[in-house]
Amino acid sequence: MIPAPFEYVRVGSVDEAVDALSEHGEEATLLAGGHSLLPLMRLRLAVPEVLVDLGRVDELRGVRDAGDHLAVGAMTTHHQVMSDPLVREHCGVLAEVTGEVGDPQVRHRGTIGGACAHGDAAGDHPACLLALDATMVARDPGGTREITAADFFTGIFETALAPDEVLTEVHLPKLDGSWGFDYQKFQRVKQAWAIVGACALVRREDGRIGEARVGLTNLGSVPVRATGTERLLAGAAAEPDALREAAAQAAEGTQPPTDSNARPDYRRHLARVLTLRALQNSLAS
Amino acid sequence: MRSSTGTGTVPRERGRVTGGVGDSARRPDGAPKVDGSFAFSSDLWADDMLWGRTLRSPHPSARIRSVDVERARRIDGVVAVVTADDVPGSPCFGLEHRDQPVFAHDVVRFHGEPVAAVAAVHPEIAARACEAIEVDYAELDPLLDPEAAIDADPIHPDGNVVRHLRIRHGDVDAGGDVTVEGTYELGMQDQAFMGPESGLAIPDDAGGVDLYISTQWLHVDRDQVAACLGLPTEQVRLTLSGVGGAFGAREDVSLQVHVCLLALRTGRPVKMLYSREESFLGHVHRHPGRLWYRHHATADGDLVKVEARIVLDGGAYASSSSAVIANASCFAAGPYRMPNATVDGYVVRTNNPPCGAMRGFGAVQACFGYEAQMDKLAAALGVDPVELRLRNALAPGDSLITGQVIRGTAPVREVIEAARAHPLPPDPDGRPEVLLPGGTGLTASRGDVRRGVGFAVGFKNVAYSEGFDDYATASVRLEEGVDGEPVATVHSAAAEVGQGLVTLAQQVVRTELGVERVILRPADTSIGSAGSSSASRQAWMTGGAVQAACNAVKETLLRRVAGAHGVDVEGARRQLLVVRDGWVTHVEGDLRLSLVEALDGRPVEQVSVYRHAPTTPLDPDGQGDAHVAFVFAAHRAVVDVDQELGLIRVLQVATGQDVGRALNPVQVTGQIEGGIAQGVGLAVMEEVVMDDGRVRNASFVDYLIPTALDMPEVAATLVEQPEPGAPFGAKGVGEPPTISSTAAVVAAVRDATGLELRRVPIRPEHIALAAGSGADGT
Repeated sequence: MIPAPFEYVRVGSVDEAVDALSEHGEEATLLAGGHSLLPLMRLRLAVPEVLVDLGRVDELRGVRDAGDHLAVGAMTTHHQVMSDPLVREHCGVLAEVTGEVGDPQVRHRGTIGGACAHGDAAGDHPACLLALDATMVARDPGGTREITAADFFTGIFETALAPDEVLTEVHLPKLDGSWGFDYQKFQRVKQAWAIVGACALVRREDGRIGEARVGLTNLGSVPVRATGTERLLAGAAAEPDALREAAAQAAEGTQPPTDSNARPDYRRHLARVLTLRALQNSLAS
Repeated sequence: MRSSTGTGTVPRERGRVTGGVGDSARRPDGAPKVDGSFAFSSDLWADDMLWGRTLRSPHPSARIRSVDVERARRIDGVVAVVTADDVPGSPCFGLEHRDQPVFAHDVVRFHGEPVAAVAAVHPEIAARACEAIEVDYAELDPLLDPEAAIDADPIHPDGNVVRHLRIRHGDVDAGGDVTVEGTYELGMQDQAFMGPESGLAIPDDAGGVDLYISTQWLHVDRDQVAACLGLPTEQVRLTLSGVGGAFGAREDVSLQVHVCLLALRTGRPVKMLYSREESFLGHVHRHPGRLWYRHHATADGDLVKVEARIVLDGGAYASSSSAVIANASCFAAGPYRMPNATVDGYVVRTNNPPCGAMRGFGAVQACFGYEAQMDKLAAALGVDPVELRLRNALAPGDSLITGQVIRGTAPVREVIEAARAHPLPPDPDGRPEVLLPGGTGLTASRGDVRRGVGFAVGFKNVAYSEGFDDYATASVRLEEGVDGEPVATVHSAAAEVGQGLVTLAQQVVRTELGVERVILRPADTSIGSAGSSSASRQAWMTGGAVQAACNAVKETLLRRVAGAHGVDVEGARRQLLVVRDGWVTHVEGDLRLSLVEALDGRPVEQVSVYRHAPTTPLDPDGQGDAHVAFVFAAHRAVVDVDQELGLIRVLQVATGQDVGRALNPVQVTGQIEGGIAQGVGLAVMEEVVMDDGRVRNASFVDYLIPTALDMPEVAATLVEQPEPGAPFGAKGVGEPPTISSTAAVVAAVRDATGLELRRVPIRPEHIALAAGSGADGT
């Protein structure tokens, strides 16, 4: 199908992008790779009147060391994130999760900012950023604000970004060597969306679990944390029984969607199994 | 690993010409298909052509109160809008019964039924015009349960039961020491070919039309198109265009009438090309089914009786349902000696999508049931399931539950033993993690995986049955080429749908005439029918027609030589003059002419019609010699299962297949691998998901088919026992790989999990949510 007619604006800076959004309001949409947006436009599920292309905004590309955290520019491609030495050293889980996104073509064009602003709970990034306690940085005509990942994802394909706001950076806490991690993505065919995914981060502390965080993909309209599991693991012994008991709580309080891939009861089951495997692998990593 | 071992000795008449029968000759369309230069029907183009588009019902059952096309007609660029009122001839078409409206008139009977069609200067304008057509529907409660449909109020003037086939064989009161019982279900599989439906219709100056189309049977399309257009058949000419797979889905008319009607209405060429979604809605699927079985056996393991009730959902229109239920019923006992049988097969109309031909055609559904039963019986008897099959295996001279005695070959023991003889794959510990269930997603680790092995045997008929006048036409022309070498040209209406018939036609001519260069004319309706490229029949039927035409050419040529050179060919002396290795020679004399010399500047062309031995209809007890020949295959599947997630990795399928004779071993192996892919797909992933009569997964995102990453290793043995009466002794090879591969994979998953698994495709939750819960994992 052919998208509905739209006006195309190419901007060279974040300021120009903010100006363009302010001028056109809700009719405008940012183009940040386009691997989700363009298919939606072709299906006419998205009908933006103005497309503001961030492709040439160089200030939004790249990863920078900001002391206690890494700052990843919103237009950094998945491939750049995966292969960035800083990311691999300080936030390896994001490199691993990013490697599960789509296929190589998608990873060379798609961007971290685009993946976040798309707000798809079935995407791989949201659960990972939620588990990382990442912070999103957005700019509007009034200035810059920071939004926690927990506040950022608000609904099905919805985020906290205002119509005139541009997501500029994602701030990732640095994880030291005491952290293990793993991402389990369940899909029936490769390169498909996750039917369920579990992203685990575990901090080891003298043979015990200092802290565990688990983000779940596609278990609701927004990415969710397995809070029951996390609570049971805080300070727990790193023993198989403790992991099993905690993972059994992974789906508590979730409201998984139903579709032709899976019913809610099977999604909850998958969440428990994948959480356990992700925790086991995190401790082994 | 593949091997090709013959269990019979087959003389291979080889001349100096290579690429004849028995060689793995290269496909003439192979390189163009690989390098992208092959023109598929979706590539068709004509100057000044319009684009056609179909408006389809969003409801599975509704009354049409009104159809208003005025708004669509007024759109700039729209050239024609047609509805049921514009169909000049028969309002309905159909493969066996003309029961399906070209456009729904008063009611729609399935989700996706065509209601109107549009021709416009651009496909997008045609799409918008369809949206602008206002159809006022009064929705009705759809009839969706095939069991209920048997007695429900008819949804079609012809009634709901398309066919009830009753088989009573032997002593219907017989019983055995051991009985096992089960009910089995199959979901709706799609043929999932790569090239969506497409065609180009070009009107002529005299009220007729030329249609370029991807199809399986040009003549049956032509006859239906002509009837609906109210034209004599000679005014509707069809030419085969590049076919991107078929598997049965192109046996029925889809867009053929619509596109021709639009071309005649507008006086301009019109192209139609379905989207993937429309393709799912616009062609028939494999019949979903529910099969109840009870098997009786002696304590020693001899089969005594089978009782079966088979209900197939034919969807809204008849398509080839009558023949599908005939296969499911006739072969309901499997390839085993079964002295007594009571089988009731029903195929019914519902408001689900129409179902018709798909590779395996009724035999697949039955096999899933009877092979599960054979395993249950083996467990009840405490014997090895393969030994139970060997003990009861059909052999030549045995009779089927239809009373038909097998006069041809039936190497059932041989295919079972060949499948069993292949080495098993290595243990999971020795395999890379990406080959575990979940593959590159790496959700499974070795400790999570259990292995299972399963076995199944299946069979079906070759070609058409029940007294159908089944024939194929072909012509062969032999002449001197511009380079002075002989060249043969084959003309036939047989559809090359990917199976390799074009290669076989060349091979037959090379073997029969000793001519290296064989040109294939496009398949079209200017020659007589070749029948359908289905039922594993074209190697036999069109192979036979080409062979017969070659023989007629030889005969004409030899009589010409005899006349020109004063050779006596009367009576038995005719046998002394032969064509061999590209030469005309006299066995007793010194006459030796090249083919070009023998032709003497005058081409020879002959048309032949080939028929297989006649079959008879079934009597009221389902008894009769309804089939011309049978083909058998056995499959052994090995799977790894991650029981917690419900993920299955099919590691290997080993097979022994009865091929009669392998005319082209590489192509046969390709058919086996492709057929197993579809069998694996039905076992573990492929299903058209229905929700209250609506198709929910009309895309390759949601309708899963095996990819290279999902495909198991295939270990194949071709069992060669030439079939008496078949050209070159060859049986069809396309369908057997799909018949029992599904059952074998499910048997392997049962072996790994201990679950009963009565339904295919097995969904991950059937395993994951059943494990440890005590449920049976339906």
